[in-house]
Amino acid sequence: MRVDPRARGAVRYSVDADMPGQLHAALVRSTVAHGVVRGIDVSGVAPGVTVLLPEDVADLPLYGCQIADQAVLAERPRHAGDVVAAVAAPTPAAARAAARAVVVEVDELPAVFDALDAAREEAPLLHEGLSVSDNDAAYFGIRPVAGTNICHRFRIRHGDVEAGFAAADVVVEGTFRTPAAAHVPMEPHATVARFTEDGRLEVVTGTQTPFNMRMELAAMFGLDEEDVRIVVPPMGGSFGAKTFTRQEGIVAALARKTGRPVKLVLGRSEEFLTLNRHPSIVHVRLGATRTGDLVAKAVTCWADTGAYADCGPGVAQKMGFAAPGPYRIPNCWVDAHAVYTNTPPNGAFRGYGAMQSIWASERTMDLLAARLGTGPLELRRRNLLRDGDAYATGEAMHGTCFEELLDRAAAAVGYEHDPAGKGLCLVMKGMQTPSRASIAIEREGDGYVIRCATTEMGQGARRSLALLAAERLGCRPEQIRVPDPDTDRVPYDTRTTSSRSTFMMAGALAEACEALLEDGRRGHGTIVNDGGLDPDTGQGVASTHWHQAAGAAHLEVDEETGRVRLHRVHCAVYAGRVVNAPGAALQNEGSMTMGLGTALFESVDFNEGQVTNANLSDYNVPTARDAAALTHELVEREGAPIHGLGETALPPVPAAIGNALASLGIELYDLPMTPERVLEAIDRRAAPSPEPDLEARRR
Amino acid sequence: MRVAFVLDGAPAELEAGEGEMLVDALRAAGRLSVRETCGIGVCGACAVIVDDEPVSACLMLAAQVDGRSVTTVEGLPDDDPVLQAFTQAHAAQCGWCTPGMVLTVKAMLADDPQIDRERAAEGLGGNLCRCGSYSRILDAVQLAAELTLKED
Repeated sequence: MRVDPRARGAVRYSVDADMPGQLHAALVRSTVAHGVVRGIDVSGVAPGVTVLLPEDVADLPLYGCQIADQAVLAERPRHAGDVVAAVAAPTPAAARAAARAVVVEVDELPAVFDALDAAREEAPLLHEGLSVSDNDAAYFGIRPVAGTNICHRFRIRHGDVEAGFAAADVVVEGTFRTPAAAHVPMEPHATVARFTEDGRLEVVTGTQTPFNMRMELAAMFGLDEEDVRIVVPPMGGSFGAKTFTRQEGIVAALARKTGRPVKLVLGRSEEFLTLNRHPSIVHVRLGATRTGDLVAKAVTCWADTGAYADCGPGVAQKMGFAAPGPYRIPNCWVDAHAVYTNTPPNGAFRGYGAMQSIWASERTMDLLAARLGTGPLELRRRNLLRDGDAYATGEAMHGTCFEELLDRAAAAVGYEHDPAGKGLCLVMKGMQTPSRASIAIEREGDGYVIRCATTEMGQGARRSLALLAAERLGCRPEQIRVPDPDTDRVPYDTRTTSSRSTFMMAGALAEACEALLEDGRRGHGTIVNDGGLDPDTGQGVASTHWHQAAGAAHLEVDEETGRVRLHRVHCAVYAGRVVNAPGAALQNEGSMTMGLGTALFESVDFNEGQVTNANLSDYNVPTARDAAALTHELVEREGAPIHGLGETALPPVPAAIGNALASLGIELYDLPMTPERVLEAIDRRAAPSPEPDLEARRR
Repeated sequence: MRVAFVLDGAPAELEAGEGEMLVDALRAAGRLSVRETCGIGVCGACAVIVDDEPVSACLMLAAQVDGRSVTTVEGLPDDDPVLQAFTQAHAAQCGWCTPGMVLTVKAMLADDPQIDRERAAEGLGGNLCRCGSYSRILDAVQLAAELTLKED
């Protein structure tokens, strides 16, 4: 059998990309969490090294995919690790040495590190005056709250929530927290860029968002979009880390100053300062009748977006519209906020905010079941959404299969036989709405070439497209070439996010293949999904297509050490129709493995805004042994459309494990569920007292 | 320092700079299958086989391979049972960690040709796959063991 090029090490990533005559860059970062640069001393820098200073980029406007709040170099650093200067040198080692030789003096300003503290009126402000970006990633009504650190607030107003609670026989509530987490793509962020003689900007970089980046860099350097070229080699993992503009603006500014191509590869510790997952605080209040019908739910979400908004408004909004969960609730209010703090920016992360509110909401379902004296399985079955039911956004549900997924997950752990040490979770996650996907396919030799902006990061997008095209055109998948996306050569696509590409591109590809068969040489196809939510009421179409899953966990706890021993964690995920069987299975397994890290041990830790575990010895990710208990299944339906699978199996894992612990009387509210926290919860079980956050809230 | 060694079965030389790590020297020599992720020897992405031992090339000085033999995946034949097993088991997503996994598994099977799944999982404790392809990687180890036994 022909050896997989991945096994042979033949894949070429952005770190492997070079341009002739390139210089190598390194970054100079702030050591303080908030301050104003008073001076930058470059006298110790070796000759022949170019230093990029704030004055070199003073002509470049603020950027940011949803709110324009970030300068290419920070004259006012807003987190420890913010980039205040950059250098370009003949070798990477010379660049690193030069960056170390740059001395930055900063006058410190008061800083704030917690989202709730940052949201208070008296908190130090990170940004004065916020302007919504004109990038097409700012597609929804972004609502900054003037004079505060809140850069977006989103509301759902469905029914009358106070009347709902008044009619409830039982009301439970809880406050749930999740920490920052690191994506840890094995390949770090890497970029090489140059300005050509005719003034075009060419960038080779790992990104899931080539067209958003083209737009952003064009605005930054005052170019027409057509004069910016973004080429995207396969990524050595991303998981959301490589979205929107990260280091690319700095690299391009260095290329502009030096007149040479410039390459930058981030060091591992820098990855933890570049983009993380939003820490969250989610408060849930849930009411039901004595018979177990949900009647009211009120959720408040705080998403800590760090020093810059990035796509935090979008993450907070998704956290908000995932909060009702896949249940019929006649009265449901949600208030979700994205808040600045003096920590590294937080952005897209596999699950995009859904995991955080699912953790809170699904744990609350089990608190309610316990209070009602009913089973968690029965409570979910009784209330879950079926076709034709209205979601809290007002949209009518279609293509639902929550009951089947729940039954399959429950059966995998023998839940109905004996629920002790077992927990369940139901997940409903949206797909990017609205969006647009275009694709072109052309004859090439005895096969075809696909031109499309869908980026490859290990999810197998190219293989899926080749399989789909081969099916349509009656050829072998090996006859179809899918080259690296290049914005000079591929039609527009919104971005490779939210598990949308296989579904959306499959639709566009079907059209393109039909056009090609008619034309004989080439074909083009485009599909659009329309929708969106009113940010003030949350009414509209959150998603034209819902990702659905159920999870179940079976575990035991060593009550001496607090160690959780997993017997099994199972996810049943709705696929509609599977395109690429091994790829689909791997996406499920990968999502669950990442969910396991989230559940049990992953957390980026801070001390006064400084990351204290920015390396892979102190920040642990799951290994082969950790993943041994994970199983999954893909559920298909005759004639059903393709459903994306990139993230759906991540959010069920933490909540299923948390609920399995709850079945033993061990109630956890905060992730990760470390042995220390499990032991604390065991102590609380021994001496029942109100959950501390609830006390604080009542005061 | 001038270093003379055997690289993927052929005599090779390189100029090792002061403090230059093997991972950087091998990449400079065109072996781009050797990749740096953690820089501290915990992830296995830069694993190569030096003589018969798997090592983290981010922790070994380039100068240390003088007079020794270094194997990367680029030197393995197409019918190598571990390469074949990873291919047939669909044991990769982004593919970044795969070369280090392949080489670690080769060394593991040389030590323990009938390794079981649990010991293989333990043996891969120093090889991280953030895509989470572990179950298929362990399938590949079992398949590689079978193919290797057949070969012998």
